[in-house]
Amino acid sequence: MKKELLVAGLGNPLMSDEGIGVHILNRLLQDSDKYPFAEFIDAGTAGINLLHLISNRKKVIIIDCAYMNTGPGTLKRFVPEEAETIKKLAVQSLHEADILKIIEMSALLGEKPREIIIFGIEPQAVEPGNNISRKLEEKMIFYVSEISKDIRF
Amino acid sequence: MGKNLNINVHHLTRVEGHGNIVVNAKDGRIEKIRWEVPEAPRFFEAMVRGHSYEDIQTIVSRICGICSISHSLSAIKAVENALGIEVSEQTDMLRHLMHYSEQMQSHSLHIGYLAAPDFFGAPSVVPLVSKAIDVVKTIVRIHRIANEWSDLVAGRTTHPVTIIPGGFTKVPTPEQLVQLQNTLKNTIKDINTLADVVLSVASALPKFERETEYVSLKQTNPPTYTFYHGDIASTDTDKAMPVKNWQKVANEYMTEQSTAKWAKWHRESYMVGAIARFNINADLLCDEAKQTAKMFSLKKGCCNPYMNTIAQLVECVHLFHASIKLIDRILTKGLVSEKVKVKVRAGRGAGCTEAPRGILFHEYEFDKNGKCLAADMCIPTNQNHANIQKDMEKLVPQIIDEGEDAVRQKLEMLVRAYDPCISCSTHMLDIRFKK
Repeated sequence: MKKELLVAGLGNPLMSDEGIGVHILNRLLQDSDKYPFAEFIDAGTAGINLLHLISNRKKVIIIDCAYMNTGPGTLKRFVPEEAETIKKLAVQSLHEADILKIIEMSALLGEKPREIIIFGIEPQAVEPGNNISRKLEEKMIFYVSEISKDIRF
Repeated sequence: MGKNLNINVHHLTRVEGHGNIVVNAKDGRIEKIRWEVPEAPRFFEAMVRGHSYEDIQTIVSRICGICSISHSLSAIKAVENALGIEVSEQTDMLRHLMHYSEQMQSHSLHIGYLAAPDFFGAPSVVPLVSKAIDVVKTIVRIHRIANEWSDLVAGRTTHPVTIIPGGFTKVPTPEQLVQLQNTLKNTIKDINTLADVVLSVASALPKFERETEYVSLKQTNPPTYTFYHGDIASTDTDKAMPVKNWQKVANEYMTEQSTAKWAKWHRESYMVGAIARFNINADLLCDEAKQTAKMFSLKKGCCNPYMNTIAQLVECVHLFHASIKLIDRILTKGLVSEKVKVKVRAGRGAGCTEAPRGILFHEYEFDKNGKCLAADMCIPTNQNHANIQKDMEKLVPQIIDEGEDAVRQKLEMLVRAYDPCISCSTHMLDIRFKK
């Protein structure tokens, strides 16, 4: 049985800061007992599979690395309607998926969650490597505490 | 009457990663035809060095968001060959079931989300929802079931977590397998609907042929339409090559138009993927899949690369029927809890599976403590690059009079037909906030 609230961490943890969503999700998982109504998923580079993960939930929280034209390490909370994609590949692919387009498709199929919140984290380094950069690591507690505030209905 | 062409598709859409198509012609004389791959290398081979044999399949599963099960399985087979680990029949059957789910995920995605928009004249699947909602809903249903199927056996839709060298950390219950089997039985009508829909628009597939070499796994004992076991076979020779000699097949080399390595075996290029598997193993398909091939007049020896998408559809039919039978076998044998015992030793081993987009090789070397000393991987898309280039060189002169837009469209469709996976390690958002 699908839980009504989904927290999905996206990214590739082998590409340093690009995997920040997965790193934050792993921290959140340590306290997952506090949220029995929520499902925590390391969605990796699942791409368009996100369409299925979010379908017919009440609330979805997506955590992902994002180029937002802000400083490295910046955390921004926004809803899909507040942002527009400027991704060059602004059409569906498998892994190079565009989350905003997937949400649009979910709405067209009539299965879009009532509430979607996206947390974007501006990267400092996107390059092969298992660790996130120090700048982001130092803010990890802040990220976890800010995102946790939204894990409720 | 000369024709001018100036095609520069920078960043081709609906394929994985970055590929460019460049074609120039002046007064009917072709000056340049190039399939370019400017993707930055990602050094996964270096990344696994120093890690334990137990962690390799987890790390390499992150290479790709769609072939993650194939990468994990190729890696685990290589690790087991290096360390001399035998697996049980139960493990072997469950790995097959897991692998089939990935083929279904990937094929339904490619046919439905990436290729279908070309057939229906839509720029992507999003506008296709309004244009043909029932078709998209059928595709989404099939794709969703394949995802849930991976979830059950692999522990996660992508990046599997249940497999370890020698076995599984968790196996599904018989009840879960019965439920999956029922779901698959109920989905066969959707697969047949999808085949009918694709048939109704199949005239959009260009009629282009170029004879080439096809390479895939071939399993003779017992004869099976294989994605997992077997030797490396080619349409250019009757002599199959053992997997441990894969480097003599791929013969990887560098070219200045690509950051990815290219490959060649008996001639200047070869093709891997569904059409290669079909051309080598079609006799072993189930009757229902043979019937689907017949619907599209797809026959062994087909050398139209655009038909790769149809071969994937034929494989979808086969995979559903093969999986229903496989679940019967697993349930008849009965599921038991197995303990995995590994005696670590130094060694080197290769492993191979058919990823949805073609044959995939992994090879590792370990020291006496099971620490990885060296790694080598050869992905299917790299094996196809040279063949894509050769196809373009034959195709463009044939269609040059059709005008720039038609030539561009057919070249884009050609690359998409190979279902390439150029890079899938990064996917991040790139956004601007609305004022």
